[in-house]
Amino acid sequence: MQEAQTTKVKNAFSERGRKIAAWFKGLPARTKEKFAFAREILNQGNGKVRASMLLMGMGQLLYRQWAKGILYLLVEIAFLAYFILRGADDLLGFFTLGTVESNAWYGIEGDNSVIMMLMGILAWIALLFYAVLYIANIKDCYAIQCAADTLKAPKSFKKELSELLDKKFYKTALALPIVGVSVFSILPIIFMILIAFTNYGGDIVPPALVDWVWLDNFGRILTLGQFAPTFFKIFGWNIIWAVLSTALNYFAGLGLALLLNKKCVKGKTFWRLFPILAYAVPGFITLIAFKYMFSYGGPINQMIVDAGGTAIGFLDIDAKWTARLIGLFANAWLNIPSSMLLATGILSNMNTDLYEAARVDGASAWKQFVKITLPYVLFATMPVLISQFIANFNNFGIFYFLRGGLYMEGYFLASDTDLLINWLYNMSIDNNYYSIGAAISIIIFIVTSVISLAVYVLSPSYKQEETYQ
Amino acid sequence: MGKNLSAVVAHIAVILAIIITLGLAGAFAQGASAGQGSDRFTGELEEGAVLRILENDTAIKQGYLEELLDAFNAAYAEYGITAVDANMDQYTDLENDGPYGYGPDVLYQANDRIMRYVDGRHIMPLPVDAIDCLDVVGDRAWMAYSATTDGQANIFGVPVNVQGPLLYYRKDLLPENWEEEWDDDKNGVPDMVEYWTDLYRFSKQRKEESGGQEFGYMRSFLEPYFSVGYLYSYGGYTFGNNNTDPSDIGHSAGNAELGGRVIRQLASVMDERCIDDSVTTGAYSALASGEFFATITTPDVYTMFVDEMKADGYSEEYIAENLVTADIPMLPASGDLEDESEGFIECKMMGGVNGYAISSYTDYPNAALAFVNFATSYEMVSRRNELLGIVPARSDVASDVGGLSEVINTNLEEGSIVVMPSIKENAQIWTPLQTFFQDIAKDPYRTAEEYKYDTLEKIKAALVNVDEQIYDAIFTLRG
Repeated sequence: MQEAQTTKVKNAFSERGRKIAAWFKGLPARTKEKFAFAREILNQGNGKVRASMLLMGMGQLLYRQWAKGILYLLVEIAFLAYFILRGADDLLGFFTLGTVESNAWYGIEGDNSVIMMLMGILAWIALLFYAVLYIANIKDCYAIQCAADTLKAPKSFKKELSELLDKKFYKTALALPIVGVSVFSILPIIFMILIAFTNYGGDIVPPALVDWVWLDNFGRILTLGQFAPTFFKIFGWNIIWAVLSTALNYFAGLGLALLLNKKCVKGKTFWRLFPILAYAVPGFITLIAFKYMFSYGGPINQMIVDAGGTAIGFLDIDAKWTARLIGLFANAWLNIPSSMLLATGILSNMNTDLYEAARVDGASAWKQFVKITLPYVLFATMPVLISQFIANFNNFGIFYFLRGGLYMEGYFLASDTDLLINWLYNMSIDNNYYSIGAAISIIIFIVTSVISLAVYVLSPSYKQEETYQ
Repeated sequence: MGKNLSAVVAHIAVILAIIITLGLAGAFAQGASAGQGSDRFTGELEEGAVLRILENDTAIKQGYLEELLDAFNAAYAEYGITAVDANMDQYTDLENDGPYGYGPDVLYQANDRIMRYVDGRHIMPLPVDAIDCLDVVGDRAWMAYSATTDGQANIFGVPVNVQGPLLYYRKDLLPENWEEEWDDDKNGVPDMVEYWTDLYRFSKQRKEESGGQEFGYMRSFLEPYFSVGYLYSYGGYTFGNNNTDPSDIGHSAGNAELGGRVIRQLASVMDERCIDDSVTTGAYSALASGEFFATITTPDVYTMFVDEMKADGYSEEYIAENLVTADIPMLPASGDLEDESEGFIECKMMGGVNGYAISSYTDYPNAALAFVNFATSYEMVSRRNELLGIVPARSDVASDVGGLSEVINTNLEEGSIVVMPSIKENAQIWTPLQTFFQDIAKDPYRTAEEYKYDTLEKIKAALVNVDEQIYDAIFTLRG
C-alpha cells in the first residue's frame, strides 16, 4: 500500500518534472526564433521601419497609416512628457531612495524614501509598458512593409479595430485588467519584496532616509542567535496548525453537509440556518466572545467554580496546548459553515446513478463515501482546499484575538501559540521592523507556495483533470 | 542591419539621456532647497486662520470641546481666527497624516503619544517665553514634554491634566469596629486604605470569611500601567536617565523583585480573575455590588462607579458619602505584606500627563499657539475640571479645586507618580511587562511543585529576562 502510494507520488512528480523539463528544453529554440525575427526586422526593415525605430509611429505615418501612426506618436510624446516631468526623477530616486532629509520645523520638504520607492517601481512599470509598445510599433511597421512588398493592402485601422473586438478580443478584454493588476497587485507585491532589501524600520522611518542593504536582512535572520530557534518552533507549530485546522474544517463541513443531505433529516433548511448564522457574525466578534467565554471571569469558569471546581486558565500563560486546541475549535466554528455550504453545492451535482450502481454491487455506505463521494468532492474542491490551507497557514486573527500580547521565554518576540503571521506582525507592526518583516514574509511565501504546488500537483484535480471533464 | 540597429540604439540613447540628465537635475534641485530654516513663531497672528483641533472623545461627548471652541472663536473673532473640531480619531497618527496635510493643527493626547512625534519633527518646539502657564505648571509635568534635539532642550507640549491612579473603596463595607481594630495610629483613617499590609490582611480575611465570594482589594495585574509601580517603588525603573535612555532598562534594578513579591502576595488574596483582564470592565459593578471592597483606577472613571451604584438602588447622598477615593496606600519597606517591621515607603505608580502640541505641518503656528494658551488658561482648565473631572496640571487650579487634584499634583512633584516615558521606545515595554505580570499573578494559583516565583531570586531572574526582551525588541533587529 505504502509502496503504491510512493510510486504514485513519484509518478506525479516525474510527470510534472517532464513538463517543466520540456519547457526549459524548448526555451533556447523559442529564444532563437525571437532573435531570428528581430534580426530579420533589423536586416530587412526599410527606411520607413527605421523611422519607426527612431520615433514611434513615423513609419506608419510614412505608409499613410494615419490613425495608428498618430496613436503611436502620441504614446511616444506621452512617455517623453511623463519622463521629463517626473519619470526620470522617479527612476533615479528608486536607486538613491532620497538624498535630502525632510525637516518640518524648517519647512524643508525633503525626500520620502518610501514614496520614492513606490514611484520608482511605477516608473519601471511605465518603462516596461513603453518597451512593449515600442517593439509592437516596430513589428507593426514591419508587417505593413511586408504587406506592401507583397503588394497586399495593409490592414486598415478600422479593420484592426474591428479585430480587437473579434479575433483579438482577448487583448481588448485583458488590457484594462493588466493595467489594474500592475498598479494594484504587482506594484504592492514588488514594493513589499523590495522592502526586504532595505533598512526600512526601527529608527529608519520617514522622514529619515531609507537605504538599500540588499541581503543584510536575510543574513541577520540567519545569523541572529535567538531568531532561528524561534523560527523553527513557530514554523513547526504553523504546519501542524494549518494541516489540522484545514482537515478539521473540511471534513467537519463535509460531514455536516452529508448529514443534512440525508433524506431522513427533517427541516433541513432550519438546521442549515445555525451554521450560517455562525458564519454571518464577523469573525473578530466571535473570537472576542470566545476569549471572554474562556477567560477567568467568563461563563465557563463561572460554571466550574459554581460547581465547586477551580477556575481553569484556558488561555493564560501556561495554557499552551489548551489554547491551541481552543484556537482549532474557534477556527472550526468560523470556517465549517463555509465548507458545509461548498460541499452542499457539490453534493447536489452528484450523479445518483453511481450510488445506485454501487448499492447493486453491494458496496457499504462507507465504501460509497470513500470510493465515490470523497474522490468527487476532493477533485472539485482541491483548489479551494489549497486556498483554505494557505488561509489557515496565514490565519492572523485566531491567536491575535484569543491570546495576543504575550512574549514567551524561549521565543523571540513571540508566544507559543503565535503563527508565523503573528510573529511577523509582532516584529513589523508592534516593533517597527518592516524590512525584517518583509524578509520573513518572503520566506513564508516560498514555503506556502512550495507546499501548495506540491499538494496541487499530487491532487486528483491536477492528475485526473481529463477524467472528470 | 547596421542602419536599423543604429536607429534603435539612437532611440534608446535619447531615452537614457533624458532619464539621466533630468533625473540628476531633479536631485540637484532638491538638494538646493535644503537649509531654508526660519523661526515660525513670530508672534504675528495669521488673520483668517482656520485651526483644526484634535481633542479626546470624552471632551467631545461631554460638550467641553464645543464650549472651548465657542469661547476661543469669540475671543479671536477680531483677528478672523476660528478653531474647529478636527473631526478625526482621537489617536490619529500625525506621523502618517501630517506630511500630507490631513493632520490637525493642534492636538491633545497623552505625553507618550505626543512625544513620539519629536524624532520625526512632526510637532513643533514651542517658544518657552510665549507659553502663558509656564510658571503655574510643575517641573515634572514639563519634563514629560521636554526633549533635547540638535543639542538643544526644547518643550514640545503644554500640560493640561495629570493622570494618576487612585484607590476607590466603599466606606460602608468597612468592618463596624474599624475604628478600634483597623486604625492603629488613631488618625481617623482606616489602616487598610493607608497601608498595603493592612489592605492585604483585610482582603485575606474578607475572602476567607465569605468563602471566596467577596474580596478586599481586586484589580487585574495584566495592565502594566497599574502594575509596574510596585517595581518602581523598590528601585526599578523603565529607562535610565529620567526615562530618556532606552539602552538602560531597569525593571530588575534595585530591589524591584520585592515589588514582584508584593504582586504575588496581592494576587493570592484575590482570585484568578486578577490574571487576565476579565475583571477590568466588571470592576465598576463589582464594587457597586459590594463584591469588591476596593480597587485602583484613574480619577476620570469616578462617574462609572456612581452610575453602577445608582443602578443598584443607592441614593446620590449615600454614594457621595460611601464611595471614597484615596491616595494609593503605602508599601512595607521590607517588600513583604506580612512584615511591617521596617516601616513604610511611598507606593509609586505610573502616570501620564495629557497636553496640547502644535503640528509642524500647520500653516498657522502663531494662531495655534494662541489657541493653546487660551485652552490652558485658568478659566478653561477650571471648566475642564468641572465638566470632565480631570486633575489639572496647573497648580493654581489644582489648589483651588483641592482634594485629590492637589494630592495627585503633589504625588507627581514628589515622584510618587512616575510619568510614562516620553520616548518612542516606550511602545516596546508593554508586551514583555504584561507577560511577566500575568505570569507572576498566576503563580499563587499553581500547585506548590509548579511555583515559578516562590523565591526573590526567581522573581529577579524573570525581571532580568523582561529587561532583555525589551532590549531585544528595541535594539536586536536594528540595522
